Amino acid sequence: MMEGFTRRWRAAQPWPAPRRGPHYSVCHFCDTLHDADRIPEGEAALCARCNAPLYQNRYASLTRASAFSVAALVAIALMHVFPLLIMDAAGMRRSLTLSGAALALIEEQAPILGCFVILFTIVAPLFLALSMLYITFPLLFGVAAPGAKTVARWMYVSEPWNMAEVFLLGVVVSLLKLVKVADVQFGVGFFACAGVMVFLAAAVAGIDREELWDRLEVATE
Amino acid sequence: MSGCHPKAALKGLAGCHTCGKVSPVTLGRCPRCGSHLHLRKPNSIHRTVAFMAAAAALYIPSHILPVMTMVELGTVERHTIIGGMMYFWESGAYPIAIVIFTASILIPFLKIGALAWLCAAATGHTHRKPERLGKLFWFTELLGRWSMIDIFVVGIMVSLVQVGNYMTVTPGPGALAFAGVVILTMFSAMSFEPRLLWDQLDGQSVPEETDCPHETI
Repeated sequence: MMEGFTRRWRAAQPWPAPRRGPHYSVCHFCDTLHDADRIPEGEAALCARCNAPLYQNRYASLTRASAFSVAALVAIALMHVFPLLIMDAAGMRRSLTLSGAALALIEEQAPILGCFVILFTIVAPLFLALSMLYITFPLLFGVAAPGAKTVARWMYVSEPWNMAEVFLLGVVVSLLKLVKVADVQFGVGFFACAGVMVFLAAAVAGIDREELWDRLEVATE
Repeated sequence: MSGCHPKAALKGLAGCHTCGKVSPVTLGRCPRCGSHLHLRKPNSIHRTVAFMAAAAALYIPSHILPVMTMVELGTVERHTIIGGMMYFWESGAYPIAIVIFTASILIPFLKIGALAWLCAAATGHTHRKPERLGKLFWFTELLGRWSMIDIFVVGIMVSLVQVGNYMTVTPGPGALAFAGVVILTMFSAMSFEPRLLWDQLDGQSVPEETDCPHETI
């Protein structure tokens, strides 16, 4: 049953070819020029010279990218509402939130560090999830959202600066640092942060950059 | 070898850095996404070396200066990154000590070294296989962000450990220097142009465009 469903879904939304040819692909490592042939879903095109991946045709790309960005947005909301760490020490209970960590740095005379934390762990993941959804959801219906190309440019600029997974490891290290002096435990926010990491990675990996731009080009023609 | 693998630059074609569309470089801007087109990233070696040198200069203070100051019942303790790692090692938490050593000490050091080597190879000072160097470059880009872990630990400790007069933590100047190292090495890796390695192998050089005053990422 499932097989039939996915086949139909795929057939309805193949990777379109933009009308304005000719269609080439250039390897970003060695600059070798290739003819950009269409490849079946689930396969990757590799550079003939250096073997680096040129582009990949992902399964049900738009569906996955938009679904995982919704999941990421839910996880981001949970991560901000619930504490990541809960510490009991000297009769006091303190809990850690993402914004709390950034604001504490700003209050304790390290405003630049605080801004870095805000940018890398709050702004970048949120922008990545929102922009991915903004671009891919309308594309499911063959429509490009207003300003989608500008959003897509900024999305790929912001991508390396999303550090949700690095923050997650930072939370683990902090717990191990504090476990000797206080009673520390993970909060719901920690698991939400793990979700943000997984869902954002799945959303970005869900659609190839070239496919996303080809679809945008076709939708705006 | 380059005969059977034609280079886009030799045909005047440029792959857009943002969207990947291949267009004649004479267009100036990518017809699809509007980014500036370049055959090679402009001034790639100069930029990479400049960011790398700045990162290397900050690397030493980032490890000498304290990243955080802990006040516990009136006694002031200044923690450096290496001190924090030694604390875990001595208390028997070897895996976490290894994680901190790798993320905070080894990766920034190796990354600066790798970028220096890549720049040397791209300007023809060393001869190595571009395939391996390409992997090194990819690995460098992938790992760099994990060094931010220590900055996040400082933020978490400062936020969490404010237990009245019993124990407080404040950030130190080393943390800012270390954040600088991580961010500068990331910019350095982004400025590097791996295609120069292959140009070097083939003995071809692509002239840098002089008619384009604009700079892009």
